Amino acid sequence: MLNTEDFSWSVIAIWAGLFTIGLAAIYSATQGPVSQFLPDYIQNNFFRQIIWIALSIAVLVGIQFVSPRTFQGGAYLFYAFCIFLMIVTLFFGVEVSGSRSWLRVGPVNLQVGEITKIATIFATANYLTSRRDISAENLKTALITVALFLLPVALLLLQNEAGLAIVYLTILPVVLFWSGLPYGISLLMISPVLIGYFTILDWVWGGIMAVVLTIAIFLIQRRTWLTLSSLILGLIIVAGTEVALQQVLQPHQRARIESFANPTLDPLGAGWNVLQAKTAIGSGGLQGKGFMEGTQTQLRFLPEQWTDFIFCVVGEEFGFIGASILLLLFGLLFLRLLHMAANHRHPFAQLIILSVTFLYFFQFIINVGSATAILPIIGIPLPFVSYGGSAFLTNTIMLAVCLNLDSNKRSLSIYM
Amino acid sequence: MINRKQTNRVHTSAKVLQGVILTGLLILLGRIFQLQIIEYEKYKPLSMQNSLRMEVVTPARGLIYDKNGTILVENQPIYSITVTPARFDMEKIPVLAELLHVEEQIVRQKVIEAQQYSWHRTSRLFTEVTFEVFSSIQENLWQLPGIGHQVESKRRYPTEVKAAHIFGYLREATREEYLELDYIRLGDKVGKSGLEMIYDNYLRGEVGTEYIRVNAFGQEQGSYENGVLDIPPTKGSDLITTIEADVQLLAEQLMENKWGGLVAIDPQTGGVLSMVSTPQYDLEKLAGRMDVEYWQKINSEPGTPLYNRAVSARQPPGSTFKPFMGLVGMELGLIVPETEIYNPGYYLRGRRYGDLADAGTYNLEKSLTFSSNTYFFWLMDRIASQSMLNSWSKMISDFGIGPINNIDLPSERSGIVPDSTYMNQRFGEGKWGIGDVMSLGVGQGMVSASPLQMAVAVSSIANGGYRVQPHLVSAIKNQDGELQYTNPAFDKIEWLEKSKIEAVKKGMRGVVTTGSGRYYANLEDIEVAGKTGTAQNPFGEDHGWFIAFAPMDNPQIAVAVLTENSGYGSISAAPIASLVIEKYLTGEVKRSHVLDYVLNFKSKNSISEETN
Repeated sequence: MLNTEDFSWSVIAIWAGLFTIGLAAIYSATQGPVSQFLPDYIQNNFFRQIIWIALSIAVLVGIQFVSPRTFQGGAYLFYAFCIFLMIVTLFFGVEVSGSRSWLRVGPVNLQVGEITKIATIFATANYLTSRRDISAENLKTALITVALFLLPVALLLLQNEAGLAIVYLTILPVVLFWSGLPYGISLLMISPVLIGYFTILDWVWGGIMAVVLTIAIFLIQRRTWLTLSSLILGLIIVAGTEVALQQVLQPHQRARIESFANPTLDPLGAGWNVLQAKTAIGSGGLQGKGFMEGTQTQLRFLPEQWTDFIFCVVGEEFGFIGASILLLLFGLLFLRLLHMAANHRHPFAQLIILSVTFLYFFQFIINVGSATAILPIIGIPLPFVSYGGSAFLTNTIMLAVCLNLDSNKRSLSIYM
Repeated sequence: MINRKQTNRVHTSAKVLQGVILTGLLILLGRIFQLQIIEYEKYKPLSMQNSLRMEVVTPARGLIYDKNGTILVENQPIYSITVTPARFDMEKIPVLAELLHVEEQIVRQKVIEAQQYSWHRTSRLFTEVTFEVFSSIQENLWQLPGIGHQVESKRRYPTEVKAAHIFGYLREATREEYLELDYIRLGDKVGKSGLEMIYDNYLRGEVGTEYIRVNAFGQEQGSYENGVLDIPPTKGSDLITTIEADVQLLAEQLMENKWGGLVAIDPQTGGVLSMVSTPQYDLEKLAGRMDVEYWQKINSEPGTPLYNRAVSARQPPGSTFKPFMGLVGMELGLIVPETEIYNPGYYLRGRRYGDLADAGTYNLEKSLTFSSNTYFFWLMDRIASQSMLNSWSKMISDFGIGPINNIDLPSERSGIVPDSTYMNQRFGEGKWGIGDVMSLGVGQGMVSASPLQMAVAVSSIANGGYRVQPHLVSAIKNQDGELQYTNPAFDKIEWLEKSKIEAVKKGMRGVVTTGSGRYYANLEDIEVAGKTGTAQNPFGEDHGWFIAFAPMDNPQIAVAVLTENSGYGSISAAPIASLVIEKYLTGEVKRSHVLDYVLNFKSKNSISEETN
């Protein structure tokens, strides 16, 4: 069933480029002079990553021979199975750095939450497209979609995996938006995040954002009740965020949230990572300090530099040139995938590819945004670049599914 | 089932989402452009500071050698644990206490002391910890933010020679010092007395700087770029002194339990062979972490151990003054060696001035040998009545008695050799007469000198009329081993004729062979010449003096000894001086009975101190 003519080799090239940069960065972050400060199991990360990549290549190839119908047909069953695994993990999982989100299967530890991403995407896509029309205008449809997302999110929160939970939630508005949720309501959905973000910077900015968004919603939808609720919601968020920051949260919690904007509030505490990350990237300059020459990296000023802060390694050692190449590779990947989604005839495939695209996109934005201190630090790995076998495999499976759906777009019956 | 409306919607959504992706990408690209291109100049130095720590490398302080190359003062590494209170977490006190093997309470107290000094400056928390403690702290620095460590050094005195007044001690620089002098930093130790003070600039060397790569835990990662930026410290220069360690050690033993000063000089060079002031103190106890109790003790003891009697004492020289009286008298044309004066047992001038010497006729030689006062009262009478007091004063000063002799030690004090100006100040213009200066002729009354001054003076008799420049350091050896000699000035006392000295020398030789020095100062194989003296002390027991040089024909050593509150110089100071001469010239002490006598000698002050 592999259709080599329609196969998107450019995506494969981008994918290879990303994991190559990732391998270089992981190597530098774990094998260089830094290695003497790292425990043995982290020093093995580079080699484990290679094994995972090899395994993922095999899986990627294998998936190309799967009939696209299988994805749709098995979607609910897969979803149910993953939810079951997550519940099992909750009770029998292995705890890694405070999160009980790993399931031991033979010699490997699997992060079930990662695989559940695929299942959730499949299930929602299947649900939304099995309706007569793919319209989320229907409130019930929208709510059930939200519920399909919230179930794994709740389990992730119980597993203490807030970062991954945020990733799930980011694609929900995109999925609903694509499925026909009115533009105004879609904007309303994401407005709390935008307003909250700007309120953390300064409540005045938050207020301005609330007003701007309200005007935008009014211009798009021209519905009084929507406009009114947008304004009220916006103001509640500004006030609520401000009250939470000033009154409810302890100073150290507040510092943690605000530290990305003002790391000097607590330079040795919450601001430390922010300062060190900015220093690493900033001191890389145009050309970078050279492979394995980054002082911030090699002297271990960055925490989790092979996962959450891997972008700093790239920025420091390969400079602006290296970092922008990485950003551009991601940009190409997203635009290429978005193009695939938009040009697919089948709504199920559209939604799958779109979900995957934005799953990558938001992880990318959050990871690089954290590292460059424009977002609060949320521990999320950079797709295909960061160390992490489960995540790499999951991301590759999703990419493989997209490639499969894309290459079969001519043969796939729209009635499937 | 995709209708046109839905296709349009898909296209619009795709456009919107494309916009979202491009916006996100542009924001991130802009951000990294800002950080890496625009703000590069800001972050580059930050990362350098982060990973590079500049450390000041304190050079090893110069060593102090004796005349023969024996190391008398050296350095010993000591290990210190420091704290920067602002970065220190008080909850780490138990961990720290365990590593230091100290009670938590003590650590807490020390940290609080450091906080009171400064929150942001690094203070020493514990100094002179053992190497084991030091290394265990070093290994655990990562879990002890704000705690640091440093290797410092303290002075060590490898021989038994104490010579506290020669070497001196080091103390942390005062606020004025480190603010005023840019080469002194807070916490630096500077010489506060002795050679350590006078030669501080040579001994200190120049600090170097070293760039060390550190990681986020402050652990050192070795040098930066193999040390291209490092400036190595310049080791302090070594001092080669004129001290003869064996002689110094003996002199210290001999002076023990007495109050006084001893100076032995090589009359041919002016190099100080030995210098002792007692009571002295133990420099070991002031090195490194200072023993505060000991410091307070030596500051408050009645014997004032910190006071260097050898260069600062002001005591009437008593009869040791007589040889110089003779020389001045001859130069002033008042006497010739053959001049004879009859001594009836006193000298009469307004009142009776006593003389303990037997009655009879005395020439200069005999009057020195038997220390007849009459001869010198008579001489002083002439000087005063012929208004020669100022000439007398000047000539006495030419010997080094009275003035500062500029030895390379601090706290040298001038003595007093009165002239008319002095007398006018003291008694009022014209309100003094011959009676007030008579006693100066026998070294009593207002005239006063230090052992150093007397040693310089007797050196000029020994070497045939040269005023030596007393000094302790003969050469300074820099880091490269180059020697810089101090070459002190050496001047002939112009008016002093060698022929005139001979009579005085003979008289002084007589003191040792037949006079008051014959019991304790006479050596079998060496011709010693000397003069005893006893300074009248209105406050207690008299002070004993002895000045001497040997051998007669080619003097190698000149000694002046002052023993306070010990009565006659012939029984207190003379044996000490003679033992020092014996040791220096023969290398050993044969007269064990004299040695035992001196070691067991009790001066009045020490007896009264013990009984009290």
